[in-house]
Amino acid sequence: MAYPQEQIDELKRYCSKVSGLTEGNATYLLLEGLQLPEGCEPSSCDALLRPFKGSDGYPSQLYFAVQVKSPYSRNWNVSNARICERNWFAFSWNVNVTSPTLVKILLAHLSGFTKQK
Amino acid sequence: MNTTEIDVLEFAERGEEVPHAPVYWVRIDGEKVKVETPRPTGELLLGKVGKRPCAFELIEEFVHGKNEVVEPGEEVDLRKKGLKGFITAHKEIVTIFINGDPYPIERGERTVKEILGKVNETPEGYILLEEKNGPPMPLPADKPVKIRGCEVFHTQAQSGGSS
Repeated sequence: MAYPQEQIDELKRYCSKVSGLTEGNATYLLLEGLQLPEGCEPSSCDALLRPFKGSDGYPSQLYFAVQVKSPYSRNWNVSNARICERNWFAFSWNVNVTSPTLVKILLAHLSGFTKQK
Repeated sequence: MNTTEIDVLEFAERGEEVPHAPVYWVRIDGEKVKVETPRPTGELLLGKVGKRPCAFELIEEFVHGKNEVVEPGEEVDLRKKGLKGFITAHKEIVTIFINGDPYPIERGERTVKEILGKVNETPEGYILLEEKNGPPMPLPADKPVKIRGCEVFHTQAQSGGSS
């Protein structure tokens, strides 16, 4: 699965490095040192973007290398999920973006840290 | 400073006409800056002290005590008799940028709702993102946003929720 280069380039503004990781037929995007919204702790961490529907039923998912503390508590319902040979955490957040681009999907997930519900 | 460079303040204090010169030295907030035109714009002068018209205004000071606000696009005649220099001041109504367009807003703490309202959007339908020392990041809808002027915002349709 290939993603448009201009969309990958947009993602690069948010992290130190973007690389594609393949598992099965799917390509995830590893976002190294992803910047997190103000008030999050840590302020950045590695993340894995799954911009496609997964077996969990979500149309996309953003996994984090650690469980992030944020201004609003979230339901971290994914813990130590093993994907692409690393363990990941994710909170319950359903994202449905119209005309999705990789950055729009990423921001929709990140907004989960800044919204009450 | 050689003879082709004019210190505007010195001429103002002596009450003399300012001659033509390739270089003028003017004081802005007490800082001496070099200007290579006799008719710079307000924006150019603000830029000399690292300030922008979206947050600051420029004020001309004259030896006889008169002060005048200079608009960003307005040309200032540095050879004007009695011109001492300039001071800058924080604007009360500043300019912010939303999705690339400028909007006036009162300085201070503003709500996300108020900012989104400038582009006829609401927190129920849109996320407000601020571009500050990095890429645009979502802002909490229920926390005030500190406005000093020149802030850059973007909006994105709300698309996520707790599941």
